[in-house]
Amino acid sequence: MSRLTAFTMPKWGIEMTEGVVAEWMVAEGQAYARGDVLTLVESDKISNEIEAETPGVMCKLVATPGETYPVGALLAVIGDEAAPGEEVEAFVSAFKPAGAAGEVAIQQTAPAPAASSQPTAKAQPAPVSATPPPGLAISTAAWKRSQELGVDVASLRGSERKGRISLQDVEQAARPARAVGGGQPVSIALSTTHLDVFFATPLAKRLAVIHGVDLAKVKATGSRGRISKADVLGLVERAVPAARPARPPGVDVEVVPMSMMRKAIARQLTLSKTTIPHFYLRMSVRIDALQAMRQRARESVGQAPSVNDYLVRACALALAANPDVNVQVHGDAIHRFRHADISVAVATDKGLVTPVVTAAETKSVAKISAEIAELAKRAREGKLKAEEFQGGSFSLSNLGMFGIDQFDAIINPPQGAILAVGAAQRRPVESEYTLSFATMVQLSLSCDHRAIDGAVGAKFMAELKRLVEAPELLVGG
Amino acid sequence: MAQLTIREVINQVLHAEMERDSNLIMLGEDIVGGAGTAGGQEAIGGIWGTSTGLYDKFGAGRVIDTPISEATIIGTAAGAALAGKRAIAEIMFADFVGVCMDQIYNQVAKFRYMFGGHSTCPIVIRMAYGAGLNAAAQHSQAVYPLFTSIPGIKVVMPTTAADAKGLLTQAIRDDDPVIFLEGKMLYGVKGEVPDGEYLLPFGQARLAREGSDVSIVTCGQMVMFAEAAADAMAKDGISCDVIDIRTSSPMDEEAILDSVENTGRLVVVDESPPRCSLATDIAGLVASRAFSSLKAPIEMVTAPHTPIPFARELERAYLPNPTSIEAAARRTLGYR
Repeated sequence: MSRLTAFTMPKWGIEMTEGVVAEWMVAEGQAYARGDVLTLVESDKISNEIEAETPGVMCKLVATPGETYPVGALLAVIGDEAAPGEEVEAFVSAFKPAGAAGEVAIQQTAPAPAASSQPTAKAQPAPVSATPPPGLAISTAAWKRSQELGVDVASLRGSERKGRISLQDVEQAARPARAVGGGQPVSIALSTTHLDVFFATPLAKRLAVIHGVDLAKVKATGSRGRISKADVLGLVERAVPAARPARPPGVDVEVVPMSMMRKAIARQLTLSKTTIPHFYLRMSVRIDALQAMRQRARESVGQAPSVNDYLVRACALALAANPDVNVQVHGDAIHRFRHADISVAVATDKGLVTPVVTAAETKSVAKISAEIAELAKRAREGKLKAEEFQGGSFSLSNLGMFGIDQFDAIINPPQGAILAVGAAQRRPVESEYTLSFATMVQLSLSCDHRAIDGAVGAKFMAELKRLVEAPELLVGG
Repeated sequence: MAQLTIREVINQVLHAEMERDSNLIMLGEDIVGGAGTAGGQEAIGGIWGTSTGLYDKFGAGRVIDTPISEATIIGTAAGAALAGKRAIAEIMFADFVGVCMDQIYNQVAKFRYMFGGHSTCPIVIRMAYGAGLNAAAQHSQAVYPLFTSIPGIKVVMPTTAADAKGLLTQAIRDDDPVIFLEGKMLYGVKGEVPDGEYLLPFGQARLAREGSDVSIVTCGQMVMFAEAAADAMAKDGISCDVIDIRTSSPMDEEAILDSVENTGRLVVVDESPPRCSLATDIAGLVASRAFSSLKAPIEMVTAPHTPIPFARELERAYLPNPTSIEAAARRTLGYR
């Protein structure tokens, strides 16, 4: 008995749904050899001759030349030898197109469209059937899909064990390649490493950085007591409504345009606080000996320099010993100063001014005191010359006279550091296993980390403390 | 074809293989077991009743009661196997395997590799595993994830009487070390068993039910629950593939992937706790190799990440069951 095979409309590429049989090259009943052209099929893109894969006999021509047939439709019945008419008719009536379940073998002989951009299109005519050919490692579903999509499985490398081809492999192969990467370099440096001490989700940490939320203040409600995204956003969202109702100008609100000076302060300090990586070193220094020295001065000469004057002198000497703190930061360059030019913050009616005591390490406390008094007086009168409040390698800001315990100052750019001085306070201190009282001042040094590392700033502070607590070292100059 | 329980099948295979191969020895705790009892040496025949009659037939030289030392059992079996014997070692409860873990995972599993392929270690380590008998946390564990993770040993767990015959015979004749896991709940399960010689190759899953809506992949004691769930759903017009993987190492990945490519939905049922388990292993395989076929997230029905409770009701709640499996399958079907 002859083995009959269906000759069906091939599928060349994903988009092909139907084709036209242009012409039959063999007649019904005619035998042909392998490689003989059987027919010419046209899709809307190309036309191609279809060659016989194996020798055989054209048992029946089903398709009419010039007519359009869907992919998988029966075009002809071929056999390995001539077959009786009724057998062929039975085959034709039993035929079900590809995709429908059935035992019918589907034969497609489909040369690739030569100009196809589809990498998956058939490169060579290949005989195909509803079941995978023996020896080809492919799942049944993948084989079926490869027929529908026109994927040449011979060129595929399967992702399953031992290269077996999965449905996923076939479907991926049928899709156009997708470009991956290729843009500008991006930064993937972690911004949250410093928050790793907190038990928080990575997203919560990222949000904390973005919104400037202090994780120490966040109440954790996430799983296992972890700080979650919601915990951080909860604080952010609470802050928003507080800022929202900006009261409209009117009777209760007076609108005052910023003065030039105010604008300059605003600009400088916004630049500083938003672009300079500040860090803060806080320290208490004992000034009992300094106070005693001032008391002796008052007793002998009737007056004494202020604590602040002494601190300026102490800073100048500590800067001389730690030149890495006596700097300005200009872009990628650090300007190291030979002298300690100390800007002293002075509050005036119009705002903050910072006259400079130049080369303070060369001046006695008395001279520093006199200079600051003179500069402050002229600052309040608005009579400072530009060179008297510009420059400076270091700043000192003292709010002790207002009873402020401690504060952190914003760096006065381009300077590298600023010292914030709080009020002198009597504090209980432990000494020799007994409790006594000491007069303490809280100092806070704000440093620009671009130029000054923690240890460098700390050494400066240690020297400052040594000098202030042994004030005889401040005498002379 | 005979109707036999898995317990009887194991006993028959042991008899047949001991008969067939005089080089084969057996050893374990109380596999003879009657010494000092009124019933005589052979009174017990193993606490599971799987080694009955062997001592009488093959004698003390081939059926060896050991001291209560699992390290001794496996060490002796491994040494005998290296020296040319074949050995069947029994660890009474799989949970006791901790004390012979070096022998198993660092010696037996590595011999062939360490000796450049010049040695084999043909031993079968039989052990009863699994929950369901109120044996509490130290006598109920499903240990197969532990062994499946070790390259160099094969891991087998039959669920039907016929499979018990085919897989145990194959295990004994296999030249590599095989962990043969016998589900405690399954010893009494009866089924048709082929007569005569019957071997089943490893790494070939059994399709216990055939359907097109959901793939339920499972093994060992959970297969019967998965079948019950699938049968219940079949009444509602939902058809499930139930795949009994039979051997977790080697595992029939192709059977699993083929099924998921067909159904698009996967429920993995695993008696062990969920972390680093067979459930996550199979879910991982399907997620990476059949991602495009999935129509719903993979469902894993497992024991919780806790020790196995002793109380009957708690143990029942601990294990996957037909209801929880069906619920998971329906979740995959209801996924939008």
